[in-house]
Amino acid sequence: MSGDHTNVTGDQTAPTVIPRRSFMRWISAGGAAILAALVGVPVVGAFISPALQKPKADTWIKVADDTALLDIGVPIRVDLVQTQDDAWVESRGLISVWLYTEDGDVFKAYNGRCTHLGCGFTVADDKKTFACPCHRGQFDVKTGAVLAGPPPRPLDVLKVQVRDAAVYVQYRDFRLGIPEQVEA
Amino acid sequence: MPGGLTWWHTLGSATLTVFMVQVVTGIVLAMYYSPSPDHAYDSIRYLEHTIVSGATLRGVHHWGASAMVVLVLAHMIRVFSMGAYKYPREINWVLGVALLFIVLGFSFTGYLLPWDQKAYWATQVGTNIAGTTPLVGSTMVKLLRGGTQLGAATLARFFALHVLLLPMLLTTIVLLHLALVIRQGIAPRTAVLETEAPPHTTDPAYPEYYASRYAKSKGAGVPFWPNIIYKDVVVGVAVVGILVLLARLSGAGLEAPADPSDSSYVPRPEWYFLPFFQLLKLVPGSWESAIAVGLPAALVVVLLLLPFFDRKSIRSLTHRQVAAVSMGVVLAGSGLLIGAAVREEPKTVVVPEAGRPLSSIERSGRALYKRQQCGSCHNIAGQKPVEKKQDTPDAPDLTEVGLKHSGAWMHSYIEDPLRFHKDSKMPAFGPPTLTHQEIEEITRYLMTLRGTSGAKPEFRDTFPEPIKPREKS
Repeated sequence: MSGDHTNVTGDQTAPTVIPRRSFMRWISAGGAAILAALVGVPVVGAFISPALQKPKADTWIKVADDTALLDIGVPIRVDLVQTQDDAWVESRGLISVWLYTEDGDVFKAYNGRCTHLGCGFTVADDKKTFACPCHRGQFDVKTGAVLAGPPPRPLDVLKVQVRDAAVYVQYRDFRLGIPEQVEA
Repeated sequence: MPGGLTWWHTLGSATLTVFMVQVVTGIVLAMYYSPSPDHAYDSIRYLEHTIVSGATLRGVHHWGASAMVVLVLAHMIRVFSMGAYKYPREINWVLGVALLFIVLGFSFTGYLLPWDQKAYWATQVGTNIAGTTPLVGSTMVKLLRGGTQLGAATLARFFALHVLLLPMLLTTIVLLHLALVIRQGIAPRTAVLETEAPPHTTDPAYPEYYASRYAKSKGAGVPFWPNIIYKDVVVGVAVVGILVLLARLSGAGLEAPADPSDSSYVPRPEWYFLPFFQLLKLVPGSWESAIAVGLPAALVVVLLLLPFFDRKSIRSLTHRQVAAVSMGVVLAGSGLLIGAAVREEPKTVVVPEAGRPLSSIERSGRALYKRQQCGSCHNIAGQKPVEKKQDTPDAPDLTEVGLKHSGAWMHSYIEDPLRFHKDSKMPAFGPPTLTHQEIEEITRYLMTLRGTSGAKPEFRDTFPEPIKPREKS
């Protein structure tokens, strides 16, 4: 069709026809590009938005208000309600953390699930070992090391911070039943 | 292409452009949407606040919906005015009418999806109108809602129609519509088809006459690329540019989450349904169901049959007095009805609360406010029932109470108003009527009432003397 300027309406003279038509071509191509950009920017932006999101800042959960009130040499269990954001769905789950200190300054925190199959464990009567009721796994309260039973790895140790005499931990869940510690 | 194609001839392609914008934006919107009453509202909030350009995306889709209706109607008016629905394009007019109603179906189903107050109550009214159909009314309502109540099944149903059935229908009919346009070409200008024409398009000589005229017009025409397409592109850029601008300036908006217990909410339909709704207000009650169902049905029939009973070969509107007058009456009437509806619209339909969704405590406070019938004396943003009982005293308007009093003051006042004003007619709501927890919930709700002026709270609280401990027990 291009170059076929015998069909143009009579009020145009031949010399002006070609610039006019190439102008129309430019307008059409340029306009189409603008159209694509106008719609494309928000559409692509929203589509790739999840890839642009920054990783969530580490959240420190307060597990004890005052270090002075905690028993020394005896592990204590702290149950927490944690809010989990899954896009627009907010759900709450109960988590537990074991806290242990020998001097009231340095704290050790363990994820409250047994590394074998995820049962909640308790502290044995002697206060020196954790005992899991499901398959009789046992752990050392000081280090979290496996003392007996099927657990494939020591207890999962959490990061601890003491600020203004309050104890905070960074809660993490790890994959269960495997020797390596891999975040779930 | 025949000569004499005007800028008015770009309306169809502009509609197609906006439809493609709706498809593309809709696909990404669906990625961040959950069609269940538990999550729909939260998913829209997430899109608006967390997703990059999510608010713009939703704004474009929202304004695009209005643009579709405007452009389809404008395209229809162009075709009607130029008599382009006449021979040989009768079937394409019928397809166009079907497209108009599919677009309205898109609008009706899409309106519910955000699951906010506006969405819920407009759909409540819309489905109730279908319920006034004689004989099959209650079946229609159940079919539309997926049950007797507007709820989870309705939302899932509307979502499926909006993203699966209607797009397939629309795409299919648009393709047929376009195929016919390509096959039959664009109608030549009206004057070309009027000189020496047989009086009716049903005359046996008409097809031959038409064919020769069309060939002649096409011979004097211009090529599609680029002489015609550039106009379509320019109009497309302008329309989509306006959509993006509107989306940035004024997004789709999101009211408080749908609250089926809030019967004080004044529902409003989307603006292009306003003429119809305003008309329903004007007709006497006994006529309402006839108009509610009869008018749209009559409209469909008239539009569908138009090319088959209007067989005169005269095309331009200036020579078709009846057509010109009826079009004028319909357009002016709709305009007046929209105007009346806008003027009657209560100014306070904006959510009276703080302009954000209420927290769970504030929501339970609002529920208590209703259960304790606070609203039979007090007024919040025009929600007080008009027919109030005679023995209920006039109490202060609470629309902006959150600007005037602190939470502590309100809590104490609700507990025992007589401590503040000796002649207060308000009953004391302190224990045992309500617990302190409940009074606090009401207080939290009242604190969200800050009107729409955007003014900052300025508390002028005066507290009574503290109650002295009792001397004797």
